[in-house]
Amino acid sequence: MTGANLPLMDPQSYSAVCSVVDGCLVCGDVAVPVTVIEAADPDALCEDEHGQRGAVGIELVAPVVTGERLLVHGGVAIARLGDER
Amino acid sequence: MKFVDEYRNAELARSLGTEISALAEPGRHYKIMEVCGGHTHTIYKHGIEDHLPESIELVHGPGCPVCVIPMGRVEDGIAIATLPGVIFTCFGDMMRVPGGNGSLLDAKADGADVRFVYSPLDALKLARQNPDREVVFYAIGFETTAPSTALTLMRAKAEGIKNFSVMSNHVTIVPPVKALLESPDLRLDAFIGPGHVSTVIGCRPYEFIPADYGQPVAVAGFEPLDLLQSIYMLMKQLAEGRREVENQYGRVVPWEGNLRALEIMEKVFELRPYFEWRGLGFISQSALKLSDDFAEWDAELRYDVPGVRVADPKACQCGEVLKGVIKPWECKVFGTACTPETPIGTCMVSSEGACAAYYNFGRFARSKARAGA
Repeated sequence: MTGANLPLMDPQSYSAVCSVVDGCLVCGDVAVPVTVIEAADPDALCEDEHGQRGAVGIELVAPVVTGERLLVHGGVAIARLGDER
Repeated sequence: MKFVDEYRNAELARSLGTEISALAEPGRHYKIMEVCGGHTHTIYKHGIEDHLPESIELVHGPGCPVCVIPMGRVEDGIAIATLPGVIFTCFGDMMRVPGGNGSLLDAKADGADVRFVYSPLDALKLARQNPDREVVFYAIGFETTAPSTALTLMRAKAEGIKNFSVMSNHVTIVPPVKALLESPDLRLDAFIGPGHVSTVIGCRPYEFIPADYGQPVAVAGFEPLDLLQSIYMLMKQLAEGRREVENQYGRVVPWEGNLRALEIMEKVFELRPYFEWRGLGFISQSALKLSDDFAEWDAELRYDVPGVRVADPKACQCGEVLKGVIKPWECKVFGTACTPETPIGTCMVSSEGACAAYYNFGRFARSKARAGA
């Protein structure tokens, strides 16, 4: 499945960046890497690898800046993506 | 894509496979358990076992949140979902988990207002949008997911949203691992630690595994090379006689975890004295309920729930699969009476369940290998 044929979701929804190819990532304890498009508190607008945009609760990693990469699970950022090792 | 493409390099995978083989002691059989359902999914989807020598056996653990929900808790959820005026919300896969009398999806078909969400924050949003309805969120998941529920409850409390409540089925990872280590059914050599749970709890909680049980742990990411590298790290520890916790997923997992997430979980939840796990039975202090400060938002206090124990169907062997005692294909109903479309047991529901992951990906590789043998 590619970005082009993913269903369009409401960018105000926390679900938008958690829509996935292989099932429900929440159930699989997996998380989605996203990029911060508009840094705001408590919800930042973020974009996933398919270009889906959605709200993400950022209290657990705040403050965040535009362009930063976060790991999102269940609509909430649980970690920042650090440098590669 | 950064953080993905470089972890799916086939040449590197082959080279890691060779290095892993070189570390295997001739004549020894290794059993390595991946605790997390996300890892099981990666193993089958990307054919990780094809890169490993036959002497290394990957054993699937109980880390799929949907798979470990006992049928009685599904019944409790359905009892709330069918109350008048309730909007019942849960994660997608949870809707298909069979209870004693059907699933939440069946309850929806019969007229209950059951909706799936990917985030508890969306459930809270529904409560804001429907002030004349009661919105209940059926929370499942390990420590990866519990912070999102905690955060949602903090917001509900701060905003004074009273038509929202949570039925918590959150579980914790360490007690079932301890139960498995104590199990006489299973002799393991090493553990692949769950990556995203560790993002929250850090690596320290696993230190008892090498210290008390003499087995190495590698906390691993979810891309194919993450898993192969973690297996390499474990095999290297075994070969060198070291026993410690190592962090393969350092690009995401801090050693101490996410302290802010742990802090809000501490405020919102408290440990249940015991909780039933499918296949593993009752495990003490292995699940989270809402703390007294959040009792007002506790669906189990707000509504009458049956709270009865429902036995698994006789044909279902999810328990043995979850404990790693049998492989998915060794279950009597695997792929016949039990398929992802018509699951009998929870392991066939979620794509991270060992049976569903194997059904979707692994069975083809296995039939190919058998045909070639």
